[in-house]
Amino acid sequence: MNELPQQLVNGLLLGAMYGLVAIGYTMVYGIVQLINFAHGEIFMTGAFGALTVWLWLPGGTTMWLALPLMIIGAVIVAVAIAVGAERFAYRPLRNAPRLAPLITAIGLSLALQQAVWAWYPEAKSARTFPQISGGPFEIGNVTIQTGDIFLVAAAPLSMAVLGYFVLKTRTGRGMQATAQDPDTAKLMGVNTDRIIVIAFALGAAFAAVGAVAYGLKYGEINFRMGFILGLKAFTAAVLGGIGNIYGAMIGGVVLGVAETLATAYIADIPGMDKFGSQSWADVWAFVLLILVLLFRPQGLLGERVADRA
Amino acid sequence: MTTQTTAPDTPGARKADATGGLLPLPEKAARALALGGSVLTALSTFLAWTWTADFPGDLTVYGYPGGLQVLVLVGALLATLVALASYGLKGLRWLVPAGADPALRLATLAVFTTSWYTVLAISADLGGLVNLEPGGFLVALASLAALAGALSLPFRRPEPDPADPDDTGWAKTRHGLAHAWATTKAVFAADSPRPVRALPPYAEILIIVGVLALGLTVFTYGIGTEYDEQFIGFLITAGLGFAALNKAGLISHASQITARHQNITTCGAFVAAALFPFTQTDDQYATLGVYILIFATVALGLNIVVGLAGLLDLGYVAFLGVGAYAAALVSGSPSSPFDVHFPFWAAVLVGAAASLVFGVLIGAPTLRLRGDYLAIVTLGFGEIFRITANNLDGTSGPDITNGSNGVSSIPNLDVLGFDFGAQHDLGGYTIGRFANYFFLMLVITAVVVLVFRRSGNSRIGRAWVAIREDETAALAMGINGFRVKLIAFAVGACLAGLAGTVQAHVTYTVTPEQYLFAGPIPPNSAFLLAAVVLGGMGTISGPLIGAALLFLIPNKLQFLGNYQLFAFGVALILLMRFRPEGLIPNRRRQLEFHEDAEAPTLLTKAGA
Amino acid sequence: MTTDTTQGTAPDAAVPGATVLDARGVTMRFGGLTAVRGVDLTVGAGEIVGLIGPNGAGKTTFFNCLTGLYVPTEGEVRYRGTVLPPKSFKVTAAGIARTFQNIRLFANMTVLENVLVGRHTRTKEGFWSAVLRGPGFHRAERASRERAMELLDFVGLAAKADHLARNLPYGEQRKLEIARALASEPGLLLLDEPTAGMNPQETRTTEELVFAIRDMGIAVLVIEHDMRFIFNLCDRVAVLVQGEKLIEGDSATVQGDERVIAAYLGEPIENAPGKENDR
Repeated sequence: MNELPQQLVNGLLLGAMYGLVAIGYTMVYGIVQLINFAHGEIFMTGAFGALTVWLWLPGGTTMWLALPLMIIGAVIVAVAIAVGAERFAYRPLRNAPRLAPLITAIGLSLALQQAVWAWYPEAKSARTFPQISGGPFEIGNVTIQTGDIFLVAAAPLSMAVLGYFVLKTRTGRGMQATAQDPDTAKLMGVNTDRIIVIAFALGAAFAAVGAVAYGLKYGEINFRMGFILGLKAFTAAVLGGIGNIYGAMIGGVVLGVAETLATAYIADIPGMDKFGSQSWADVWAFVLLILVLLFRPQGLLGERVADRA
Repeated sequence: MTTQTTAPDTPGARKADATGGLLPLPEKAARALALGGSVLTALSTFLAWTWTADFPGDLTVYGYPGGLQVLVLVGALLATLVALASYGLKGLRWLVPAGADPALRLATLAVFTTSWYTVLAISADLGGLVNLEPGGFLVALASLAALAGALSLPFRRPEPDPADPDDTGWAKTRHGLAHAWATTKAVFAADSPRPVRALPPYAEILIIVGVLALGLTVFTYGIGTEYDEQFIGFLITAGLGFAALNKAGLISHASQITARHQNITTCGAFVAAALFPFTQTDDQYATLGVYILIFATVALGLNIVVGLAGLLDLGYVAFLGVGAYAAALVSGSPSSPFDVHFPFWAAVLVGAAASLVFGVLIGAPTLRLRGDYLAIVTLGFGEIFRITANNLDGTSGPDITNGSNGVSSIPNLDVLGFDFGAQHDLGGYTIGRFANYFFLMLVITAVVVLVFRRSGNSRIGRAWVAIREDETAALAMGINGFRVKLIAFAVGACLAGLAGTVQAHVTYTVTPEQYLFAGPIPPNSAFLLAAVVLGGMGTISGPLIGAALLFLIPNKLQFLGNYQLFAFGVALILLMRFRPEGLIPNRRRQLEFHEDAEAPTLLTKAGA
Repeated sequence: MTTDTTQGTAPDAAVPGATVLDARGVTMRFGGLTAVRGVDLTVGAGEIVGLIGPNGAGKTTFFNCLTGLYVPTEGEVRYRGTVLPPKSFKVTAAGIARTFQNIRLFANMTVLENVLVGRHTRTKEGFWSAVLRGPGFHRAERASRERAMELLDFVGLAAKADHLARNLPYGEQRKLEIARALASEPGLLLLDEPTAGMNPQETRTTEELVFAIRDMGIAVLVIEHDMRFIFNLCDRVAVLVQGEKLIEGDSATVQGDERVIAAYLGEPIENAPGKENDR
């Protein structure tokens, strides 16, 4: 089904998932200038959290009931790990030279991956994720799989919630203030420590939603799913403008569409006939990253990062 | 980053309160106990510790120590010497320039830990304490006595921080714990060593030779350990023993002496390394030696990028891979799509050049931007390299790299008639295939060390460090930040490619799976980074030792197997939290990471 | 005094009367905020010019515009007649050096190494030279070290060459920053609050140091709050208030101007007890 509209829709949905994960990267980076390498693994643990809830529920529970519970499970696990990471791994290194928290993040990423691999039952190979039953939806000449239906609802809803939170609530405004100038924000009475925890938590929560989307889409989850996806999600964040929450989603969508279109149509370019397979998809994402850095490093919507003196 | 603060109050160096040891023994008795215990421990290694040879190492013999007993014996001898020195014997003053007591505590701790580990391992393996011979009980008691004696020696107790009367339960507990921790640290704390007297040059050179010989012995023993328990025991003894020597001030003395004769030390180290294959009777451990050397050399190359210039490169192993693939493809291997067989020098050039090109391609767009982006881009590049090499197999792409099977059957090198694949006899010693490659790799290592040393101590090296310390100020000094960073990055890539060309020949085969971001078998990017960080960024010996450790530990301790990477990740986190400057004490880096540490007024050339 | 190392023009003895710095209409906008608005300033060879103004007036921002740290939204900056490229390292290479308001030394390098880094732009030995170590390299290193020691001697820090920069007392750190800036052989030196936090004794020493620098043929532009220091030192003083240059002139003119007094001390409150002193 190589038709353009279908590919676009596919790309949009893929990109929405990237965007949900990218939010976490961009929020944390915007406030503390840390690339939270472990975010991809937090995403992964969310998926396993959802799976655990599912396994725990009596068999045959309808998805209408199970799905919200799974989402809650995913969010709880992801947020718990993210907050724990911030408190015990990152916060002590707030004033350390830049390399230290980055290396810690790498260590944390590895530890989380391996912990799931080693101790989650049968996680050494992929584990099946429950599916929404029912056939694919047809809208015009575009088919949407049941797994993706969730995203169609979840992504816009998430952005709306996030937008409201950041713009209308007191905490959200505090977050913007901290992102712009942490010292002044502190002087104005903003509890920057708490803001940072909230940033981590929110990012993890949205990633958890994205994780459920991933599971529904692909039907299985594995302990390595966070690694490449995390890379791509960070690419999306940069693409949209690091620190910019809307940029994260927009960047995600652009990335998803670019990746899908490239995979579908590259083979049509003369001489590139061998490059059309799915195994090259990740390469295109990376090429896009390099191009963005070359030509518009501040991203589509512009950066929003505090000037770290 | 303001440098306005003058030396702040160092917590912990408060008024010396009560002296008196951790345990309540009178000092004279304590010292005698430490000495006596150590001697007795040494003697007990000649006894049998268990009755059956089921426990490896044959600890059943009366009359000579075997296996782990050797380690305990070495530790006990060290403890005895330090105990004697603590009596103030004139002839032993050279051993403990910083004072004997802290060293004594660590030395007895080393002996205690190793011997109790052995005894407990025997019991656990064989199923009960009943399996121990009297010798085993003796060594346990003797080492315990020695430790007790050492811990009873007086030390300067820190005064506890004043407690906040408003503190509730948890805060009070934390306060108590913090004080306990401070006390424990104080038990093992040492004073600064006396400055080393300048000895006549020949004496200093002899000392350097001695140090190198000791290093070679330790390294050879470590590589040659045959079973898990022996390796663990080796780590304990070597680790704590090294710490003891450090507290005694010997390490700092040695650093100062070697700093005075840097060139001789470096040459001597290479000679010692070259002697390593001769210490092996077969090629088995020479294999390990080559792999360690490759890993260590690549880590040293990464050290230029990360350690000197402060650029976080997370895909460094890809440059190794590029060099390896390039050399493999032109090596005349039957599975290479290119039907060429370059001579070695040409293959080396091709490999190094290929890596250099990729380094510049990756670095040029990225180094202009904020430093964090480099991490992501290099991580991406590492993955892309692997994926691309996997995909260029004729199906998913043009057949260049032969896909996941890689380029195999790479012929052995034949340089000027010297066939690297064959065994050679040299004055009665057999030099096998891996030993041949070991020497070749040693040459590459020498090149990398040379580049590191010379570029570090120069205008460009200072520019790198300046960029790392404060980029804005460095730019204001006229340093072209982008250009300087690109040079560091490109040099690092080129050196990795260089190492890769040798690696291709050593391993016969290059496959994409050899070049991962993280995996159980080094080298891979995460391990390389860890080697640099663990060993100590910015030093030469740091990454080398870090690489050796990181290679040997998973290699020797197979039982860790599944949990290896997990432990690895946790270790990285803990390391960054508690000792980010790495193992090798480099004072300068220690200062960078611990802002409130007291800095010595003068920094000697060794950075010590 | 100079050991001429390599190329890198050492613009020491400039032609008296020539304009070294010519800033015209420099404006700096950050989003909605205009930090610097249409400021003109010239500095001639051999002059010491002061820049004063209340906190937040835009003085450091203006400095950053001069040195390429910021690209001015409008206006142009000429150094010896040439417009400077907007990159700080190129500005330094052209001949403007600066110190920072918050000391930015390389804390974990030694005093000597800090000054050697300052010499970076006047030397050219690159990576290959360092690795191959031909005679040129050794000569250049030796010359650099000599020059660095001369500068340390000039500021009085020669005895502490091997000390870590972070261990120096505050006043000496400021001197080190100046020595480091001088190492790039500038024709114009920008000093950003060089006597902040100093006692009168140290301030006096700094005054003499700046005079000595001027005698070397280097023009100086100083931001300061210490009025006595400024008026002792400077030939001309410019006053910046809320991003605009209020007035420029010699010390008497500036001290007597009502607007300057108002800017610093505020408008007199009606029926306030006591009188304002003339500063």
